[in-house]
Amino acid sequence: MNLAAEAAPTNGNPIITMSLFLVLVAATLGITIWASRRTKTATDFYAGGRGFSGVQNGLAIGGDYMSAASFLGIAGIIALYGYDGFLYSIGFLVAWLVALLLVAELLRNSGRFTMADVVSYRMRQRPVRTAAAFSTITVSIFYLLAQMVGAGALIALLLGIQPDETFLGLTAEQAKMATIVLVGILMIVYVTFGGMKGTTWVQIVKAVLLMAGAGLLTVLVLAHYGFNFGELLADASQRSGQGGAFLEPGLRYGVESDDALATLWSKLDLVSLGVALVLGTAGLPHILIRFYTVPTAKAARTSVNWAIALIGTFYLLTLVLGFGAAAIVGSDAIKTQDAAGNTAAPQLAQAIGGLLGGDTLGAVMLAFIASVAFATILAVVAGLTLASSSSLAHDFYANVVRKGQASEQQEVRVARFSALGIGAVSIVLAVFAQSLNVAFLVALAFAVAASANLPALLLSLFWRRFNTAGAVAGIYGGLIAAVGLVFFSPVVSGKVDPATGDSLSLFTAGVDFAWFPLENPGLVSIPFGFLCAVVGTLMSKEHDEEKHAVLEVRSITGAGAH
Amino acid sequence: MSSASRGSPDHGTSAEADLARRSVAMHSDPRFIELKRRLRIFIFPMSAAFLAWYLLYVLMSAYARDFMATVLFGQVNVALLFGLLQFVTTFGIAILYSRYAGARLDPLSEKLRDELNNGSGPGPAPAGGASPAPAPTDGDTAAPTDSSAPRADDEKGRGA
Repeated sequence: MNLAAEAAPTNGNPIITMSLFLVLVAATLGITIWASRRTKTATDFYAGGRGFSGVQNGLAIGGDYMSAASFLGIAGIIALYGYDGFLYSIGFLVAWLVALLLVAELLRNSGRFTMADVVSYRMRQRPVRTAAAFSTITVSIFYLLAQMVGAGALIALLLGIQPDETFLGLTAEQAKMATIVLVGILMIVYVTFGGMKGTTWVQIVKAVLLMAGAGLLTVLVLAHYGFNFGELLADASQRSGQGGAFLEPGLRYGVESDDALATLWSKLDLVSLGVALVLGTAGLPHILIRFYTVPTAKAARTSVNWAIALIGTFYLLTLVLGFGAAAIVGSDAIKTQDAAGNTAAPQLAQAIGGLLGGDTLGAVMLAFIASVAFATILAVVAGLTLASSSSLAHDFYANVVRKGQASEQQEVRVARFSALGIGAVSIVLAVFAQSLNVAFLVALAFAVAASANLPALLLSLFWRRFNTAGAVAGIYGGLIAAVGLVFFSPVVSGKVDPATGDSLSLFTAGVDFAWFPLENPGLVSIPFGFLCAVVGTLMSKEHDEEKHAVLEVRSITGAGAH
Repeated sequence: MSSASRGSPDHGTSAEADLARRSVAMHSDPRFIELKRRLRIFIFPMSAAFLAWYLLYVLMSAYARDFMATVLFGQVNVALLFGLLQFVTTFGIAILYSRYAGARLDPLSEKLRDELNNGSGPGPAPAGGASPAPAPTDGDTAAPTDSSAPRADDEKGRGA
């Protein structure tokens, strides 16, 4: 039975899976209706009335942050490449110290609804808010596409639709498309009607489900090994066929080869990824706006502490899940299902359920973990849609187009329509972007956040001399550098599988305009973003000492905080 | 939260302008300078430290493979231990900062915030009345006699 479960492709019971999905969708829509009745003012819509407690917001941050890339992606990388998946977890976790020490409280004290509230505080509103809205929407759309494309691929797999089969009359391709559209419609509904209150509760529910699901799987895997983690590691490395190397860095990132130049670039790429991960988090707009949902800076601190505890615990669990999948499911069975390993965690759920209670329990476990993954995606896309529509309405419409003269009702109405528009654009883009690599889109979002948003945010809080020209130069410079370098990297063109000759890039084999050797632009684009911000500042004489004093006093003491 | 809900405060209602004026005065108040110093003396060195520590981990993962592969006991090698230590330091720094903030930052920032919000703040003239007073607004700390070094919040400052 054991072997049969391994050889068979993931093939859940579609009825159980669909029922759980429906329950989940019904519950989140219920939350949305409840929240929509309680969303009246702009503060309600953008910041959930600032009425959430530190603990609630900590859970919601976890729900906002732990995307499908974390849950399925990292577990998958660990299952296939061992230790290297852990590098991701560590970068994603340590990044929270930047948010805790340098950003969360000061932002909460001095801003209102968006990142640009703080960045533009002592500057000319229109150019800075335009730039900030532009980068906010760029980061969020990349991240949104990653989640939606991932959702499409995942659901088709989890429903067990084989290439020659149909499900409810849909082929696998159509099911993918249908999933992308469904996820898009749901996120539009959550945000348009539920605003920040609805989004927050969806994220809280997701965080609880995710921790419960990952926790349950971890306990079952450890129990299978008599709670001996060493034995699990031994089994995983032995079954991987890589031996000890499976427990060491180097199988996936910074790969060493005979080609010295390739090795050099590969290792620099690893460093570049590491830097982007640790500096990107505190520049992600959908994370930053969460700090506005609590009443005080102290509550913002508490929420980051809870988020760190939650996210840290979760990444420790994914370590067990990844190695567990390597040991129990085996990399061959995982690769057969999905070459990138994204289905490792659901496959593990099916296998461990099968080991404990036969095929039925296996199917139930698979359905449960699949719905947790679905909830994960829904919560993250809702947060992203909210962040981008908030910035479009509050920064661009209210402060640039209307120069601050829009009424609160007008602003909220525009925010709701923005969510609809951004959601619709994302659906269309995601349908066309189905072949894009999900991890690449997430890494790009982190790189842009770290290169464009973080310099402007930190310098506006800590550098007295910083001014409009610096903020604008920093945001556009970092944004263009990150996106441009990726465009001319092997991710987009020129990378070919040496064995088969197939293209590993976005473009087909034969197209090659890549000249930037790294797949992750952070190592160059982040310093470049800071450099642009500094040079831009020094080239302009503008400086408002008084507003700087006010921002500093407000950000540190919380006087006059919204 | 309270002052937020109506209108757009960025447009300089007179209350906003008053607060801005008081904030400018507060900026050179010795107590604010002390608060700022206490904040920065913690967050800057600590940020440099954890970033360096993390970067060391990343660089060693890339360039010190043999050392990282050293098996310590059982299946546990240096790489795994180093990775887990990053978790430990992250949790540790979060706890440390929360305690520090609870003890050294919050009481003083609450006091200054109340002064600023209530308008009794440290303009050149009323400053004399405000600063020697034995911290009347310091509501929830037990009985710190010297508001610049209260230790009473130590227990509350515990991390998540």
